[in-house]
Amino acid sequence: MSLLDDPKAAFADLSRPERWVLGVSVAFVLFLLVAMLTGALGPTYFLFLVGLAGMYALLSFGLNAQWGFTGLINFSVAAFFGIGAYGTALMTASGSPIAGGFSPLVGLAVALVVALALALLIGIPTLRLRADYLAIASLGLAEVVRLIVLNERWLTNGSAGLRGIPGFFDGWPVLSTFPEAMPGLRLVVIPGSPVILETAFWQAALNVLLVLAFAGAAYFVLRRAHRSPWGRVLRTIRSDEDLARALGKNTYSFKMQSFVLGSLIMALAGVFYAHLNLYVGPGDLDPITTFYAWVAVILGGSGSNRGALFGGIVIVTIREGTRFLNDVALPIDPAPLRLLLIGVVIVAVMRYRPQGVLPPQRELIWPSAVDGGGTPETPDSGVRERKGGDDDE
Amino acid sequence: MTVLGYLANGLVFSSIIVLGSIGLSLVYSIADFANFAHGDTMTIGAYSALVTFGAVGGLGGAVLGLPYGFFVALVVGIAVAAVVAVATEKLIYEPLDVDSIGLLITSIGIAFIYRAVIQIRFGSDFTRFDVRPLRPIEALVPYGVRITLHDVAIFGSAVALVVGLHVLLQYTDLGRKMRAMADNPDLARVSGIRTKRVKLWTWVIGAGLAGAGGVFLGLFNQLAPRMGFNLLLVIFAAVILGGIGSVYGAMAGGFLIGMINQLTPFFSNVVEALPIRPNWLATVIENMITIEYANAIAFVIMVVVLLVRPNGIAGEAAT
Amino acid sequence: MSEGALPKEDAVLRVDDLQKSFGGLAATDHATFAVERGTITGLIGPNGAGKSTLFNLISGFYEPDGGTVEVNGTDVTGMEPYEVAEQGLIRTFQTPRKLEGMTVREAMLVGPRKQPGESFLTLFTSPGTVAESESANLAEAERILEDFEIDHLATQPATDISGGQMKLVELARAMLAEPEVLLLDEPVAGVNPTLAKKLKEQIRRLNEQGTTFLLIEHDMEFVMDLADPIVVLDQGHVLTEGTPEGVRNDQRVIDAYLGGGA
Repeated sequence: MSLLDDPKAAFADLSRPERWVLGVSVAFVLFLLVAMLTGALGPTYFLFLVGLAGMYALLSFGLNAQWGFTGLINFSVAAFFGIGAYGTALMTASGSPIAGGFSPLVGLAVALVVALALALLIGIPTLRLRADYLAIASLGLAEVVRLIVLNERWLTNGSAGLRGIPGFFDGWPVLSTFPEAMPGLRLVVIPGSPVILETAFWQAALNVLLVLAFAGAAYFVLRRAHRSPWGRVLRTIRSDEDLARALGKNTYSFKMQSFVLGSLIMALAGVFYAHLNLYVGPGDLDPITTFYAWVAVILGGSGSNRGALFGGIVIVTIREGTRFLNDVALPIDPAPLRLLLIGVVIVAVMRYRPQGVLPPQRELIWPSAVDGGGTPETPDSGVRERKGGDDDE
Repeated sequence: MTVLGYLANGLVFSSIIVLGSIGLSLVYSIADFANFAHGDTMTIGAYSALVTFGAVGGLGGAVLGLPYGFFVALVVGIAVAAVVAVATEKLIYEPLDVDSIGLLITSIGIAFIYRAVIQIRFGSDFTRFDVRPLRPIEALVPYGVRITLHDVAIFGSAVALVVGLHVLLQYTDLGRKMRAMADNPDLARVSGIRTKRVKLWTWVIGAGLAGAGGVFLGLFNQLAPRMGFNLLLVIFAAVILGGIGSVYGAMAGGFLIGMINQLTPFFSNVVEALPIRPNWLATVIENMITIEYANAIAFVIMVVVLLVRPNGIAGEAAT
Repeated sequence: MSEGALPKEDAVLRVDDLQKSFGGLAATDHATFAVERGTITGLIGPNGAGKSTLFNLISGFYEPDGGTVEVNGTDVTGMEPYEVAEQGLIRTFQTPRKLEGMTVREAMLVGPRKQPGESFLTLFTSPGTVAESESANLAEAERILEDFEIDHLATQPATDISGGQMKLVELARAMLAEPEVLLLDEPVAGVNPTLAKKLKEQIRRLNEQGTTFLLIEHDMEFVMDLADPIVVLDQGHVLTEGTPEGVRNDQRVIDAYLGGGA
């Protein structure tokens, strides 16, 4: 849209944090590209990072649909992620103790159904109560799911985990053989350090395609659902549930829908992870995943999908940055360092910018209703609106 | 082990849970948010005592198999936990412009900072207090009760602290103000209670008790950076069982949850002996009631309480 | 029991022998009264008489210990607040609820009941229907804002307007829900005299157009001028009911207010 016609005007139209985020993002991408072209960063690893960012973005979308839209505090993101990963792994992996060998599409379906059941299980007792009950109960749920995965060996292989998970596209026409079929490419951008693209690269490219498809679908659904009467009720519940009830909204049902939707998206991230990593183990249920997602959502801006996207990228930077630091500079165990970073970011955001870096800026009104007969004047302050289907939220 | 043995263990573990749950409940009702850093406050107490005990040593004599130095370390552990909590309240929570949900989320961040600092300083491995492990008390062994003098010390100290708190709440001016604030913060404010001060004292008492609980947990099991966070679920279950905001409810809840936690192996023996039909149900139940699932059982109890009596066993049966 | 209760032929709201106690203290003590369709009924009483508790019981926020509530002849006792609202009883709150991150018109659009776009599936299966109803609701919201002479606030953040304007918006939003009976909890508390006058005019206008009101108000002048009949509540039960003139001269009412220290 206007970005292509008139980039200068489009830039001037952005708020300060938007410019800031855009600047950082562009610099970051340029840095990665330079690193890749000079050979400092393998192209396959680069794509792995992109896939990981997509995965965290998915998790953040899921949490955003719960916390950002409705104010539901879910501390069991890792459990829903793990259920997604284990759900598909148990159906598809050659090492699965119960089923195995099914198509990844079956795995996807099973993962979503199990995640749905789990969401109902925890939602039914807690969603009628105050918000902090869900927080406490979901913290417990995460622990219980982890314990079951660890201890029920007949079901999950216990601490050994599940091996032999196929790629998501295995057995598909064309796509399953795509990585092998692609020729190895040798790009020389800087003389002396060629960039080599091989089968592994194309495999990674395929994974990136998959996560883009998942994240794109989730983004589309959330975007439409948020800027609608449905999303409006959720936001009302978030600021004042009693008001929503007094106006005739069945808030329990709305909260349940929002909770289930978010949980399914988290499970989707788990499905992607299982087919990316080709192995899942109890370690993948580490609660830290939950709080990565939390940092991403509150940093990005609760309720804002593009904020969640930005937050997802920040998380990969924290994760891989601490690993890099440990490898290169400081011989400090990265685990507590990550914990410290997460803690500091949470506290700092709540202290200095509780609305996040990119808070939602749109009215939750069905777009065509506003564009059609609405009043196009710009409001004086605060909530801004722009006409048209620009896709930055 | 006999039933008596499990009960004795339960009594000791309950003492620790009660110390944790009282503090959590106090802060919940007076500072008005679910403090997810409470478990890590216990960890702080434990590690402060570890460092202190390492520095001062035994100091000569011993009581109940514990050197004098350990009691010094206990007091320091309580003090450090209280000081850290008050500093956190002053520097972080008080200046925040967020509601109780925002405070809850902030407290998760605080929990991570506490734990990360401890883990960076002490590593993630288990450690123990440098006290000589004791043999179970001979006189009790014939009854199948295998507890040590250390366990007696834990139980005794916890009882002393709980009784002290009871006296404070019922018979002192501060206690009356705390109860008034817990009942109705707005009313307390308009009736001239200096709520900020009462809140600070709440942090001191709540975190102090948590610190003591942490030290005892370290003595009962061992110390690890995750020890407090791992216990958080059990403590929350105790608080919810007793009814959020009720100190005496938290004592009862902590006692019950601690008991059930330690009685798990006994229950699994009972279940095995019961003629449960159909067989698959028996298998499932036997599988679930095992020591690996002791925490999960606390969780299940919590969910059932939320379904049936959301205000806890002592509260009114309303939503 | 309600000694002074007037006969009601066409009651839109009927409260019968309603009871509620908290910790042994009766907050609502066998309250019985009815609201006749087409009236503006006032609910007054000294501080602590149990007016807000009664509102919460009627609108489903509290569960009564005994007694019944009927809206339009339907028994709504023990129903969830949203179910009571579905029967046509809408309420406002004493302190205006702030909707963070919403504009005024966005906050208004929460009002209409049973919007097709409130169903998640419909958003995807039938976006046309959603768009249609959304446009209609938006037009209606803007029309009502114009009637209330606050249409210039439509795209302002709902948190940036004055307390009095917020009360107007609450009233306007409640009208979008097309209530059979509207319960207003202190509509002019903390509102400046100019806006209070405006609110009074609006309530009267809406009443003339067919909406029934039940309102709690401490401002005696306001309520005596607007409401008829007036129900007087004291210590959780209905003391009397009558015309503003009758209530004003009733010795029991005067005693209740003096005894309550208000």
